[in-house]
Amino acid sequence: MSKIPPKRTLPSKEATLFKELLTLYETRQLKKGIKTSDQILKKIPEHGETLCMKGLILTHMGRRDEGIEMVKKGVRLDLTSHIVWHVFGLIQKGEKNYEEALKSYTQALKFDKENLNILRDAAQLQTHLRLYDGLVETRYKLLRMRPMLRQNWIALAVAYHLGGNLLEAKKVLENYERTLKNLPDYDIEHSETLVYHVRLLEALGEWSDALSLLDTNAKERAIVDKTAIMEFRARLTSKLGSSDAEHSWRVLIEHNSECYDYYHGYLSNLGINLSTHPAQALKVLQDFAVQLPKATAPKRLSLTIAPASFAGDDSILSFYNLARAYLVAGLTKGIPSLFADIKSLYSDPEKLQIIQDIVEQAKEDNTPPTDPSSSTSPSTSEPITYLWTLYYLAQHYSYLSQHSKALSLLDVALAHTPTLPELYMLRARIFKRAGDPIRAAGAMEEARALDGQDRFLNTKSGKYLLRAGRPEEAEKVFGLFTKKDATSPGSDLQDMQSLLYLLEQADAQYRSGRLHLALKKYIVVQKIFDEFDDDQYDFHGYSLRKFNIIIYLNLLEWEDRLRSNVAYIKAATSASRIFVAVHDDPSLKTPASSLKLSDKAKKKAKKAAQKIEEVKKAAANANSNEDKGLEPSPAKDEDPDGLKLLACEDPLERAAKLLQPLVELDVQDVDVLGCVYDVAVRRDKLLQAIQALNRARKLAKDHPEVHFRVAHARKLASSLPAQSSSPSSVDPIRVFKDEVDRILPPEVSLMTFNSQYLQQHSGSCQAILAASRVLSKVLESPTDEAEGVAFMTLSTAEDVKLDVKTALDVIAFLQSIKSTRVEEYRKACDGRFELATVFKTSEEREKLAEEIFTLTREGSSNSVNVEPEAELGS
Amino acid sequence: MTTTTASRVSFSSLTPNNIGTVRKLNSVLFPIKYTEKFYEGIINPQVEDFCKLVYYNDVPVGTICCRIESKDGEDNLYLMTMGVLAPYRTRGLGSQTLQQILTAASSHTTPAIKKIYLHVQISNGAAKRFYEKHGFKEVGIHKDYYKKIMPHHAWILEKTIEHS
Repeated sequence: MSKIPPKRTLPSKEATLFKELLTLYETRQLKKGIKTSDQILKKIPEHGETLCMKGLILTHMGRRDEGIEMVKKGVRLDLTSHIVWHVFGLIQKGEKNYEEALKSYTQALKFDKENLNILRDAAQLQTHLRLYDGLVETRYKLLRMRPMLRQNWIALAVAYHLGGNLLEAKKVLENYERTLKNLPDYDIEHSETLVYHVRLLEALGEWSDALSLLDTNAKERAIVDKTAIMEFRARLTSKLGSSDAEHSWRVLIEHNSECYDYYHGYLSNLGINLSTHPAQALKVLQDFAVQLPKATAPKRLSLTIAPASFAGDDSILSFYNLARAYLVAGLTKGIPSLFADIKSLYSDPEKLQIIQDIVEQAKEDNTPPTDPSSSTSPSTSEPITYLWTLYYLAQHYSYLSQHSKALSLLDVALAHTPTLPELYMLRARIFKRAGDPIRAAGAMEEARALDGQDRFLNTKSGKYLLRAGRPEEAEKVFGLFTKKDATSPGSDLQDMQSLLYLLEQADAQYRSGRLHLALKKYIVVQKIFDEFDDDQYDFHGYSLRKFNIIIYLNLLEWEDRLRSNVAYIKAATSASRIFVAVHDDPSLKTPASSLKLSDKAKKKAKKAAQKIEEVKKAAANANSNEDKGLEPSPAKDEDPDGLKLLACEDPLERAAKLLQPLVELDVQDVDVLGCVYDVAVRRDKLLQAIQALNRARKLAKDHPEVHFRVAHARKLASSLPAQSSSPSSVDPIRVFKDEVDRILPPEVSLMTFNSQYLQQHSGSCQAILAASRVLSKVLESPTDEAEGVAFMTLSTAEDVKLDVKTALDVIAFLQSIKSTRVEEYRKACDGRFELATVFKTSEEREKLAEEIFTLTREGSSNSVNVEPEAELGS
Repeated sequence: MTTTTASRVSFSSLTPNNIGTVRKLNSVLFPIKYTEKFYEGIINPQVEDFCKLVYYNDVPVGTICCRIESKDGEDNLYLMTMGVLAPYRTRGLGSQTLQQILTAASSHTTPAIKKIYLHVQISNGAAKRFYEKHGFKEVGIHKDYYKKIMPHHAWILEKTIEHS
């Protein structure tokens, strides 16, 4: 800042104008800003800073290309001005190009070391990019320049904390608290800071310091968050083994008697081990249940703890008695979620049996008398209890895959009360599980028709229609709730970031072989996760300004693990499978069906394009003052059907990029690791491949997906040259071969390995399928051999349990090896799975769908049988 | 009739969104398929007080639907349908429902309701007794009222509304 270069110096009149220009921009008076900059440029057309400012304002006005061009020119004209670099950084930040933006900010700081605005923005970028060393430095500078600003202290502490230096963070807080004077009571910002300080001490293991800080400030009313005080107190006193602890936990339980953590805290503080001393725990919970009669948590927790065959000295606390009381209360109250609440107990087969007996008994107790004439004397039992009992049992037997039994229970329930949507939803779910997506969709649509206002039912019905291959009906159903002015219900759901919709839509396209459309939607899901990532940006400033420290730290932690979310995993693995398939068979790039788009689809696309054009036009002729911000408006989608995406030059690179976050997050999922392996071997990344395989083996050594890849790796290893030509110290080929030898000793032949696997897992149909895949795709055995193994899944041996999904996988596999026995397999499944329709021919399915969906439509509108009004329905 | 104290009975107005439930109830309660005109009529805001779904512990179990008939400067309520699912009968639901409508009618001002009337198939003595208990009187027989179900004839029952 020492010497101003002559080309930057402005004559005094223009210098005043430039100052004015900066204010005009700050206050977003864009039109005036343009005028003022033009005045300066008239005299000094090569003034870099003014050009940058004008370019920045133009960008804000929506004249993006022109604006950015001007900014770049301005930067070139004055490379040592902090203003031009700041402007350039702002533009890059707007484009979400955070790395480059930070570079520009660093450049700007070189020429203006103490610019507060630039330092603050840089800190946000550093947080966003997780560059914590640099962040500490920036925050330190800011604090030194403005020590009176409270948030600067907190920001520095948080910066240390994020960088893992908790001790320094603590020191900053201590120094900060010393500077404070005359604080008012109930100051939320200070309170949040103190709670953070306590948490920091707890994390550092300085429990007694934490407790005394907490107690002092709670008493002085400096900490206002009551729940936080109680929770910290209970945790800290427990850790310190203080006699206060029991009381602290009790206070929490009375404060919120439905929080399981509090009960666990109470019990663990007493040193009660739930699995070795259940009787003691049950006694405690029983006392709470008596004391807090409305609380469900102690009763439910008892069911988890009580062993099924528990013979305590107190028979009231036997599992049977506890479960009966709980279930009967739930059925009488009519709690719809009772089964969902209970089913986690089913992992214990004894408990499952006891519960089944209890509910069967409840059904008997509540069954109305069969003779309707005796109804003059009302039965003592509640019809509602009977209804919910039937509902529970139907869920129970459906869970046990006894679909027919579940359906007949539902029939009784529906004859009793045909107006409960839950009953139709369950019917739908049972059909779905039994392999009949068509009837499932019909039943779900029936549920939806009962209550058009219920969006849950609406979403379910749409989803089931997609699964039944009825996208157009699904779109109509979704459209009942989406914005009316959206180009289509689907596009509105996409704007609303509905991951559920996008994944179901993508899966539906995948199932029907329209890979381009499926891929398109999977990539949209990926982009939404990028948006989630971007969304945190504003919080780097906001949360610290508002002192929401703990919540903010939790947010960052969550963002760091963002892509371990199931929706991302689903999208990334499915998309990578498509990319791999396209790589292996480039003929898939031009799907036959896509070439002749239906007229309807064409019209739709045209309409959508028009709408986007209109929006663009509106933006273009914006000479108004309206601020459009610095983010580029969404570009017109040049590839709405995903055809270009599917035909891309670098499918494997794209797949690897999708999977990369999952590798970094070390997602423990065999399917993910299988995908990583598949992509890596095709990209000749042997180290990545073997690492993925080893991780997968650690999770599930004998998993069918792992078995197939071990076999694949062995074959690949034997085809590799003995010595690699790469001069690097780690020879990937050597490592790969060594590891494969370790996994599968060279003396065991692949054939033996495969047949041993088949023998050991002869009861698992997925394992049989994997062995068959190895035969065909790795060992390249004749088709009939692989077929023979695949057909073993049809074995009627008792331990071989074929399910609908695996059977479909087998059919897909047989098709992929061009087996002549596909029809034979399909027919066998059709005979075996009585309720399923997925094994019918497509004509049969189409016919059934026509029937079901015309029926549902009729159910909601019928105009036959004109009769006058009726009488009392008795 | 017994009323259970622990159970909640509530009513809700008809809307295009819950009409599916009314359709479902009608399909099991009555031997007749109703026209689209019927369903359009019962969601008319004008009859909101006289067309209801009946809930028992939050489960829809019954329905009542009336229309307003204006003739010779007189406004009457015609009770088109009323029914409760079989397992929920003999619990006083029907009485509560009818009472709900009668109360609404007596405080209704635009228009003021003069009387309420309905048809009951002559084979249905229980229904007739039910309405009589609530102050309805038989005023005649409508011959061949039902064309497709037996018996064809129907009683006409009516009750004058007393305004509060």
